[in-house]
Amino acid sequence: MQTNMFGAHITLAPEVLAPQDAPKSRRIAASVIGLSKQFGQTSVLKNISFDIAEGETLVLLGSSGSGKTTILRTIAGLEQPDSGRVILHGRDVTDLPARERGVGVIFQSYALFPKMTVEQNIGYGLKIRRRKPTEIRAAVDRLVELVRLKDHRKKYPAQLSGGQQQRVAIARTLAYQPEVLLFDEPFGALDAQTRTHLRREIRTLLKKVNVPAIFITHDQEEALELGDRIAVINGGYIEQIGAPREIYDHSATEYVATFLGRANLLKGVIEHGRVRVGCTLLPLQNGSKNFKHGQLVSLVARPEDMRLAKHGRPVSESFAGGIVREMVFAGAYERVSVQLDLEAAEILVTRLKSEAGAAELEVGDPVSVGLTSFTVLEQEGSDSL
Amino acid sequence: MSAAVSTIRHVEGFDVARPLSIATLVFLMLPLVFLPLASIFIFGTSKGLPRFWAALTTPEAIFALKLSLATSFWATVFNVLFGLFAAYVLSRFVFWGRNALIVTISLPTAIPTAVAGFALLLLWGPYGTLGRLLAPHGIQIMFTAGAIILANIFVTFPLAFGVMKAVFDTMDHSLEEASATIGASRWQTFWHVTLPSLRGAMVSGALLTFARAVGEFGSTILVSGNLAGRTQTAPLYIFAKFNEGQIEAANAIAIVLALLSFLIFSVLFFVRDRMDAN
Repeated sequence: MQTNMFGAHITLAPEVLAPQDAPKSRRIAASVIGLSKQFGQTSVLKNISFDIAEGETLVLLGSSGSGKTTILRTIAGLEQPDSGRVILHGRDVTDLPARERGVGVIFQSYALFPKMTVEQNIGYGLKIRRRKPTEIRAAVDRLVELVRLKDHRKKYPAQLSGGQQQRVAIARTLAYQPEVLLFDEPFGALDAQTRTHLRREIRTLLKKVNVPAIFITHDQEEALELGDRIAVINGGYIEQIGAPREIYDHSATEYVATFLGRANLLKGVIEHGRVRVGCTLLPLQNGSKNFKHGQLVSLVARPEDMRLAKHGRPVSESFAGGIVREMVFAGAYERVSVQLDLEAAEILVTRLKSEAGAAELEVGDPVSVGLTSFTVLEQEGSDSL
Repeated sequence: MSAAVSTIRHVEGFDVARPLSIATLVFLMLPLVFLPLASIFIFGTSKGLPRFWAALTTPEAIFALKLSLATSFWATVFNVLFGLFAAYVLSRFVFWGRNALIVTISLPTAIPTAVAGFALLLLWGPYGTLGRLLAPHGIQIMFTAGAIILANIFVTFPLAFGVMKAVFDTMDHSLEEASATIGASRWQTFWHVTLPSLRGAMVSGALLTFARAVGEFGSTILVSGNLAGRTQTAPLYIFAKFNEGQIEAANAIAIVLALLSFLIFSVLFFVRDRMDAN
C-alpha cells in the first residue's frame, strides 16, 4: 500500500495489483484487463484493470460521467471496448455477445418484463434455456423463498414496490447461476430508508449465495457499506482500489480523499522528516522516507480527526487557531466550520454529541484546532522530481 | 380514457365558463356530426325495417359488403405483419437513409387517395410501367380484388406502422438488454419480451387499418373499375346507387358501414384503455 500511496495517478497493471489486491487463497472469478474506450475525442475508459475474487463484492465508486457504467456494460457485453479483455472464470469473453457470457445484470430501472408475473420473470432464464417445466418450477420455488416473495409470485411487476421489484430482478439472474452479478446503481430510485434496509438485505443475500458482485454507485456511504473492496473511478481512470478502511484512512489522491467522505486539505512543508503545518511540526505517520526536505505536501485530515477547544484551553496536537463560522446540528454529531488563521479555506470539524456537550462553542468563538490523524500526499500539480 | 382533470379554481363562486363551453361544444357538434349520422338512421328506417332489410340483402349489396370486408381484412393482415417488421427495422437499426425511409413510408397519409389510386394505375395498369410487361402474359392486376387490396395497403400502411413504431421508440431499452444478458437470442427476446408489449399497438393498428380500408373510396374507384358484382366495394355501391337515384339501397349499406365504424372505434378505445392500464 505504501508503495503506491503517493503518486497523483497510479496505473494499476494487473500484475502489480494481483498480489496485494486479491488474496491468493481465493480464486479469481473475473478480471478486466486494460479496458480502454473512446467516444469520439473523449476517452471514457483509460486502461482499467481489476480482479474480483470468488464471493467478493467490489464497488465501483465515481461521479456521473466517470465511466463506471461503461465498465459495467462492457463486462456485461452490452458495449464493446476499444482495447482490453474481459475474463470470466478463466474464459476470455471479450468478443462474445451478451447472451453467451452468463452474467447477471440488475438494471437501475430493474427492467422486469412487465407482461410476465414474478414467477415468469424468475423462470425466464431457464425457460429460454429449454429446461424442463418441473425443473423451472423447482428453481422458482426455491428463489421466491430466498428473496422472500412467496406471497407475491403471481403478481405483475407494476403491482410491486421498488424494493420487491429489485428482489425479483436479483432472483431472475440467480436462476441461471450467473458467473458474476452486476448492479447498476441499484438503489438510485429508492427513498433513503428503503435504501439502507435493502443494502443490508442484499449484502446478506450475496454472502449466502456466494456469487461475486460488482456494484456501481456514486454514493460513498453505500460503497463503504457494501464493498469488500472499493475502486474509486475518476475520468475513466481507477484512482485507487482497496478495502474500504484502507481507502478511507489512506487515500492515495486528493480526489479519493474528498470523494470518499469529507476531508480537509491543508498545505504543509516537509522539514527533516516531519511536516510543518502552520506553527507546528507534526511527526509523519508513515511513508516518511519518500519525502524530501523542503517538499510541499498536502495533508488530508478527516473532520472527525480534528479537535477544537476554546482559545486558551489545551487541545491535542494543536497546529493553528481559528474562528467558528457556522455550526450545524446533524443528529448524532455536529458540524463546525472553522476559518483557520493560516489558510484562506474553511475547514470542517465534526464532533460527537458527548464531545460537543463537554466544550460548547458558539459562532464567532476563537478556537484552537488540533489534528490527531492525517495522511500526507504529494501536492498535486507540483513537480515531484 | 381516464386522464386526470385539473381542479384549479379560476373564479370565486359559480364558474359560468364550464356549462357555457360544454353547451357550445355540443351545439357545434350537432350539425357537424350528430345530425348527419342521425339522418342516415332516420331515413333508412323510415319506411320500415322490412324495406331496409330487402335493400340490404340484394345480391349486389351483399357482394359489395363482402368484398369490402374481405379486401380490408387482407390489407389489415399485411399491414400489421409488415408494419411490425418495418417498425422493428426502423427503430432497432441505425443506417444511412433511415429517416428518408421513415418519411417515405409515412407519406401516403398526406397524399390524396385519388392520387394514390392514379399512381397505382400508372404502375400496374395495362399501359403502366410494370403492367405493360405483365399484360402479354395475361396478368392483369388492376380492376380486380387484388387491386383493391393493393390500394388499401398503399393508403393505410402508415396507420399501422405509425402506431407500432411509436411503441418501439418509447420502449425501455433495458428490457431487451436484460433479456440478452439473461441469455436470450434476438428471436427469443423479440418473441417473449418485445412482442407482448406490442400487442395493444398491433390491435389498434389493425383496427385503424380496417376502419380506414372499409371506407376507402378515392383510390378504390380508380383501381377497381367499379364493376357491380365484381369489383364494387360498399362505398362504391353507395355512390353508384345514389347516382342512380336509389337512395334506399344506398342508405341501407350506409347504415351498415356507419355501425361497423362505430363498433370498431368502441373496440379501439377499449383496447387503448387496457393498454394504458398495464
